[in-house]
Amino acid sequence: MLPLIGFWSGLERARGRKRMLALYWVFHTLCALGAALPLMAPAVRQLGRSRLGDELMRQFDLAWLAEVYSVAGEAAAPAAVFAAVAAGVILLLGGVFLAGGAVPMLAREEAAYTPEEFWRGAGRNFWPFLRLALYSLNAYAAAFLLSGLVRRGAEAVWGEGLEARPLVWAGHARLAILAVLSGLISTAMDFAKVRLALSGSRQSLRACLGSLRLVWRHPGVMFWLWACFAAAGAAAAWAYVELAARLEGGGAVGFVLLVLAQQAYVLARIGLRFAAWGAAAELDPILRPLPAPEPAAAAAEALDYQI
Amino acid sequence: MRHWLILISASLPLCAQLARPIASYDIRATLDADKHVISGEQTLDWVNDSPDTVPTLQFHLYMNAFRNSRSTFFRESGGQLRGDRAAEDGWGWIQVESMKLEDGTDLTARIQCIAPDDGNRDDCTVIEVPLPEPVKPGAALRVRMKFTTQLPKVFARTGYSGDFHLAGQWFPKIGVWETKGFRRAEKSGWNCHQFHANSEFYANFGDYRVELTVPSRFVVGATGELVRRTEDAKRGTSTYVFVQPSVTDFAWTAQPGFLRFERMFEAAKQTTQEELAAAARLHGIGIEDVRLSDVKMIALIQPEHAEQTERHFHALAAALKHFGLWYGRYPYRTITVADPPYGAGGAGGMEYPTFITAGTSYKAPADVLMLEIVTVHEFGHQFWMQLVASNEFEESWLDEGFNTYSTGKIVDRVYGGTSLPLMVFGRNVWSWLRLPKLTQASMDRAAHVGYPVRDPLATRAWEFYDGSSYSINSYSRTGVALRTLEALLGEETMARVMRAYHQRWRFRHPHSRDFQQTVNEVSGRNMDWFFEQFVFGARRLDYAVSEIGSRELGEPAGVFEKEGKKETVTAKDARKRDREREKRGGKAQHESWVKVERLGDGVAPQEIEIRFRDGHAERRAWDGAGRWAKFTFTRTAEVESATIDPGRRYLLDVIFANNSRKADYNTALSTQWTLRVLFWAQNAMLWLTGLV
Repeated sequence: MLPLIGFWSGLERARGRKRMLALYWVFHTLCALGAALPLMAPAVRQLGRSRLGDELMRQFDLAWLAEVYSVAGEAAAPAAVFAAVAAGVILLLGGVFLAGGAVPMLAREEAAYTPEEFWRGAGRNFWPFLRLALYSLNAYAAAFLLSGLVRRGAEAVWGEGLEARPLVWAGHARLAILAVLSGLISTAMDFAKVRLALSGSRQSLRACLGSLRLVWRHPGVMFWLWACFAAAGAAAAWAYVELAARLEGGGAVGFVLLVLAQQAYVLARIGLRFAAWGAAAELDPILRPLPAPEPAAAAAEALDYQI
Repeated sequence: MRHWLILISASLPLCAQLARPIASYDIRATLDADKHVISGEQTLDWVNDSPDTVPTLQFHLYMNAFRNSRSTFFRESGGQLRGDRAAEDGWGWIQVESMKLEDGTDLTARIQCIAPDDGNRDDCTVIEVPLPEPVKPGAALRVRMKFTTQLPKVFARTGYSGDFHLAGQWFPKIGVWETKGFRRAEKSGWNCHQFHANSEFYANFGDYRVELTVPSRFVVGATGELVRRTEDAKRGTSTYVFVQPSVTDFAWTAQPGFLRFERMFEAAKQTTQEELAAAARLHGIGIEDVRLSDVKMIALIQPEHAEQTERHFHALAAALKHFGLWYGRYPYRTITVADPPYGAGGAGGMEYPTFITAGTSYKAPADVLMLEIVTVHEFGHQFWMQLVASNEFEESWLDEGFNTYSTGKIVDRVYGGTSLPLMVFGRNVWSWLRLPKLTQASMDRAAHVGYPVRDPLATRAWEFYDGSSYSINSYSRTGVALRTLEALLGEETMARVMRAYHQRWRFRHPHSRDFQQTVNEVSGRNMDWFFEQFVFGARRLDYAVSEIGSRELGEPAGVFEKEGKKETVTAKDARKRDREREKRGGKAQHESWVKVERLGDGVAPQEIEIRFRDGHAERRAWDGAGRWAKFTFTRTAEVESATIDPGRRYLLDVIFANNSRKADYNTALSTQWTLRVLFWAQNAMLWLTGLV
């Protein structure tokens, strides 16, 4: 039940943070515009005045993509790669910064959203969260290493054979292992953020290891919690793809509805991200009860009260 | 010898001799499946059908391409082909143990390796043998040879992997003696090229009888018809005898694990009377001349691909039908498709007479047509390579390119487009994502557009700029060029051209110029300009509408001659006249202009369609020779758009987007697409920030 409790509670917490949701949407949209506009410039410049524009840009025309690449691609490629790397770095740093503001808001249900509070949290948590992100890379690398070992092992056993079947199934297993491990690491890092945000601690490594230990101790809860969010994400993707298929080719109105559906999907994904943090905040005190106060500290508290 | 002649004769009712045999082989070969070694003896009957006296013999020893890393093949390919890399311990070679003439003269000591293409002394894929007596015109020569072939670990077309064996280019094969004028040769001599990274086929027609002895557990498939199988229980071996007249090569495969299936292509059931009548009408021949014959289709399938068996048969049947109706009936009695196992992909997608290899994978999704494309394509080589036996070494476009064109037409017609594999846990999500299917025509044009025009189509296979230039030109760009030709000549004329070319050169060896000649003759048009630029030249075709515009022509102002007197119209008067005309409801005249440019060095006559805002449209012709041309129009309506080559006949044009220009910028289009890309960028960014 715990995973479901966490999942619903996370959704509930995310539901109450609409302004934060909007802020996240603006941030991602601005970054995406920064990437989309330069990317589309050569394409639409070429086709904006072409009679073939509508036809060539209908969905996915391989020959036209080759045309765009042959006209603009080769020359623009180095700049595009540089821009993509730069945008990625800015995006990651921005993501860490915003998470610093968002996690405390989601962790403290009673706290009302104010921009001041949000930005304060973002500033306070930036460095601990950034260190946490860097530490988490080790965990992700370990997951990739493990999946690589599965691949190597499969190739050593079946690579020289005349059947692809065992290798294909080993590939599925490898992908599944990678997905589950990445999901668990991501969940662990959500718990670590909540731990850092609530305790005001700056000990990122301790939070990272502690959360990984938490996953180790409660693998079932963590797996099903991740599975709930993965299923919700898949359901949102499925709903979007099905809806988009019906809206495609529906004229101007259809296109406006399609854009709305796209943005609703983006908001859903951000909402799920918030919900994952909210779920971690909900389950953290249950899975990791705080130790009872020591007698000396209790006595001091009582003394304070008397004074 | 007598024995096998009797066998050939006995099988003649089954497989009639269709071409005059020039190089016929009687081969006895035994496979040592553990060592992957073939020990063979062969008797070659070669006829000098030229007016020349031939002093030497030249043979291909293709398998020596895999002998070491200094062979021409290895130097050109770098030890990898089509994504497969040579194994470190998988060398292959062929050794001619002895060579004797019928009278017992031993030629073995006279054998010497030669490298006619690149002078590579380390390459021994061609040998030359001086004869004690030259072969006189019209004379026949019988040569008996013993040879040993070590198959390489397969990565390029031929070899072994585990207990799978694909023996292609495995026996000493005589070159083609070309007399001056034969296939437009400038001088008489042997045409016997070394084994290169790309291309390998050119041989005379002949009758083959091949006796293969393999361990009995093996399932065998080969060129031709199986006429006898005997088993030696004591040795645990089986001997298969295959016979096939009128072919240019012989290949075979053996693997214990093959599942063997047979289906009949029943011509009467596969073709309707209407289809036959339409084909007969189109080509102006009798319906009996287009009627197809029954063919036994044999599939040797890997057990893990068993569920794909019917896909192979369906593709084979589609190919037999359409190639047959379009170019002429398939004249042989069998076609065998062998499906190489995982790990032997390098042997897949290959063509030999009446024997082809497939290209598929475990659980290949039904909407990804790779299996069908490969099977139809390799079958197509029965027509372009085997029946019309062009020289693939020197003119690969006549082989691979013609086949790409034909394959594309069949696959697009029978199957529509293909999905690409976007596999997630064994499921292809391409269709689920509603991504559109890709046609062969679109994929060929994408390849053509995406790669610079560096070499003529008609370039010798080893003289292309690089491997990509070879494959783009030999396959995709030729496909696009032939589709362009089809658009210029008309579909029906092109169909007549292709059939006429095929029929004229069936069981013969054409040159590129022979196709050009057929095009001109059948179409009744001189298409030399097309061939010189886009087949024998490397011209880039790119025309663009570079500018369009309109301006209003007001009433004129200035000094005018009127009835011998000078009359001055002031600017004020002119404006007044304009206003008066507007009051009367009269429309102003507009001068519109359209500028078109030739951006490439390819020249082609062009048609330009100009549309005006009142719905009126005009077409103008331009010979396309100058760098640019300007067309002006005076009409009340302004120009709305201009399109060069509105019928999009010139598929060779490397940029279609600039072929037209509208006066108004299409803001809706660019907004729509920017929003679409924005969405995908947002998603990509959410994945990234999801990590932190």
